[in-house]
Amino acid sequence: MSLQRTIQIREEGDTLVVCVGAYLNSLLGEEVEKVVRARLDDGGRRILLNFQGTRLVNSIGISFVIGIVEKVMEREGRMAFCGLSRINCDLFRITGLAKYARSFETEKEALDYLAGNA
Amino acid sequence: MRLFGTMGAEASFREEDFFGREEELSALTRAALEGSRGIGSSFMIYGPPNIGKTSLLLKLAKVLGTSSGGDGLPRPFPLYFSFSQILSHPLALSQHFLQEFLSQLLRFLGDERPSAFDPAAMCDRLASLGVTGCREVLAAHERCTAEGDGLSALVNALSFPFSASGELFYPVFLFDDFQYTGKLQAVPEGAMLSILRPYIKAGHFPMFLSGSSPGRVTAALKREGLFGTFQMIEVGGLSTDSSVLLWGHLCERRRVDIPASLLPRASERLGGIPTYQRMFVEEIFFRDARVPDAVTLENLYAFSVTEGKLNRYWREFFENTFPDRARRGRAIRFLKRVLCDRFPLDTVEGAISLMGASEEEGDAILSTLEFKGLLKTDLDQLTFVGDPVLADFLYWAFERGVLGKGTSQVAAAIVQARLSRTAPEPGQGGDHARRVAIVKELMRKWDLREVPLLLLDFGMFREKFGGKGLLEVVIGMESEAVRVRLPKVSSVSTGYRASRGGPRFDFDLVAYGFLDTNFSEENLVIWAVDVAVEKNLGARAVEHFENRCRLLALEKGLPHDRLRKWMIINETTDPAAVDLASRYGIHLSHPTQLRLFLNLFGLEELEREPEPARSHGAEAPRAGKTLEYELVLPIKADSEVVAARVAEEVAAFAAVDADTVDRIKMAIIEACINAFEHSASESGKVRLRYLLSPDKIELFVQDDGKGFRSGKTPEESKKNRGWGLKLIRELVDDVEVITGPDGTVVHMVTHLGGDSANPGTVRQGEGGSAPSGER
Repeated sequence: MSLQRTIQIREEGDTLVVCVGAYLNSLLGEEVEKVVRARLDDGGRRILLNFQGTRLVNSIGISFVIGIVEKVMEREGRMAFCGLSRINCDLFRITGLAKYARSFETEKEALDYLAGNA
Repeated sequence: MRLFGTMGAEASFREEDFFGREEELSALTRAALEGSRGIGSSFMIYGPPNIGKTSLLLKLAKVLGTSSGGDGLPRPFPLYFSFSQILSHPLALSQHFLQEFLSQLLRFLGDERPSAFDPAAMCDRLASLGVTGCREVLAAHERCTAEGDGLSALVNALSFPFSASGELFYPVFLFDDFQYTGKLQAVPEGAMLSILRPYIKAGHFPMFLSGSSPGRVTAALKREGLFGTFQMIEVGGLSTDSSVLLWGHLCERRRVDIPASLLPRASERLGGIPTYQRMFVEEIFFRDARVPDAVTLENLYAFSVTEGKLNRYWREFFENTFPDRARRGRAIRFLKRVLCDRFPLDTVEGAISLMGASEEEGDAILSTLEFKGLLKTDLDQLTFVGDPVLADFLYWAFERGVLGKGTSQVAAAIVQARLSRTAPEPGQGGDHARRVAIVKELMRKWDLREVPLLLLDFGMFREKFGGKGLLEVVIGMESEAVRVRLPKVSSVSTGYRASRGGPRFDFDLVAYGFLDTNFSEENLVIWAVDVAVEKNLGARAVEHFENRCRLLALEKGLPHDRLRKWMIINETTDPAAVDLASRYGIHLSHPTQLRLFLNLFGLEELEREPEPARSHGAEAPRAGKTLEYELVLPIKADSEVVAARVAEEVAAFAAVDADTVDRIKMAIIEACINAFEHSASESGKVRLRYLLSPDKIELFVQDDGKGFRSGKTPEESKKNRGWGLKLIRELVDDVEVITGPDGTVVHMVTHLGGDSANPGTVRQGEGGSAPSGER
């Protein structure tokens, strides 16, 4: 019943895949921001946020994602989202996030895009 | 000077119309008679207006007036006095009290009622009857009156009975409408009790205070350190048996014929309140009407409550209580929502919010209603009087005033609501609804207390206590070591019987609670409760309950230990059903266990007294009705998830599509977060209300803080924050933000089944005024 409050990270080629937990709120947003910033500082430039397991997103969580997108763009990195539910897609569209990072249904499609295969 | 009597109460009291209340009378008589030995007790008698408190006092006066002291002890002298509003000046009150005392004492000693008020002559007459010392007290009273010293005159007049009582008698004070003593001009509230304090403490002068507003009087008693000295008696409607006897008597007097089979129904209709019965019989008599069947009875009742005597009674009551038309309208609308629509309201802040009034006006309305006995307050908790006739009157007033419906239309609706009510067996539907209400009340009080597990395990309970007496059970239960910790329940919803969307949430009660004081998602636990209607609980019913629980658990993704299942047996149960329940981990409680359970939480009275309700109020909601849920959340990280979960449940109940459910959830999360972040609420709470009607879902998020932030602050812009209202606008069809001195309400509406072509209409109102109609 408890909403998963952590994130899971792994590497797929040179892409950092961040699987976001069930409720993207300020705590989780901060976690995501931290790992992405560390990756960027280490020289990584490809980031994929996987929202497959994310059931709820609040506006504070979204603000962190916006911050992350800004940082990736500053460093001229490449970023994508995948696994967004319809409501989360809508929220990303309303907040304008969708304009700055592409969204894919599956992780594979997103990884292909980030790898430049798509 | 002319004698004007005790406000006519004595004159209008007909002893032959007095039925029932044997228990109360016996207790009061016993306490009064013990005054002769200096061990008399004092009572506070309270109850809603019109219930029969005055009749009880006057009947007591009659009983005491004919009793002898016995064994050479002095006789009780019952002194009835009403502190009604017309004597608000202490000088007038003291004069009237003196007059009543002297007049009633003379009659008690065998004289005729004097034709004129001549205090000196009355004192002389009393002296000749052996009651001395009256002249001295009178002279002192006259001095105070001449100096215009109202308070001293009052002290003097009230000490008269104590100074004048001889060895022949002792006064028993029957003080009616006592709450008005708090409204005396230039006399502080509670002063009357200060004056009477030494006499109350003495034990020789039993004192019975009666009034509609126990809160004020008990507060004054507490201030005076007298609360422990008083016992409380709440007066309610008559029992069905007594009420039926009264019907018989009234019908015979007016030669009105109502079939005996209809009388219990008629009693229930009028809440067993004697005054209503008298008015109703008069109505039938003056209309020269015949009452051959239930339909005619219902029609006549509806007629009386919409334009006849019952209507006139309540109309005058409200006109006198709220002379200001606008305030009267507000009070009526508010009460209608609470009493007819059964809005689950029990706090002052919630009440004021529901009124849509300023805090000052809301307080004034609540205070007036409390004074008139239509609600009780205990700290911040409100309890409203459930008077079925009042509820029907309010329905009439509301429908006519707000919706402009004609009287006949409203009367037809009242009759229809009543006649279309389905009862499985005579009396059973009401019992079921009552028990559901009782269990709801019980669960709200759990608050992490530990209780014996046996209360929830019928199999073990029967094994241990089968065939034993109640006392033995109670003692055995006290030493019961195996205990279970109950959750802190944050909300209990009734009306989970689905009319749409399938049988998924088909429960009598669903409660949300937390396993400890930490109000977090990890601690969330849900209790699903059914109160069996069948006399004998069978295995099939248990199986059905379990299946519904499984579906609920699946739907909510609940681990098995976070969904608690509880069935309450009606009368008996099959052994197979008990085994099955045990296998499924379903708690089972027999009515005896429930009674013990209630007792632990001080709710035994609830079990005995039916919760009065408007005819269909406590029933499971039917299609077309509005369902309401309420939730109070602490301002704490992540508690908005609980709000979303309840929203999800409400939306699922309406069988809306998953996308709409998600939108509603997100909207309420945003509204909560905004309230948490920006309200700076002092109470640390946010109140949520969910209204589900056939065509829309309405969500209200209310805080008592500074208001909703509709735009971004520079700080927020820097942090990419401040999306709340924009998101809400996109997620629901209509949004309204009402900000006033008492806080902010975000009102969100999602229309069901209609087009959402034009979502996101936002109106931002200032000043806290609600839109016309209701909120």
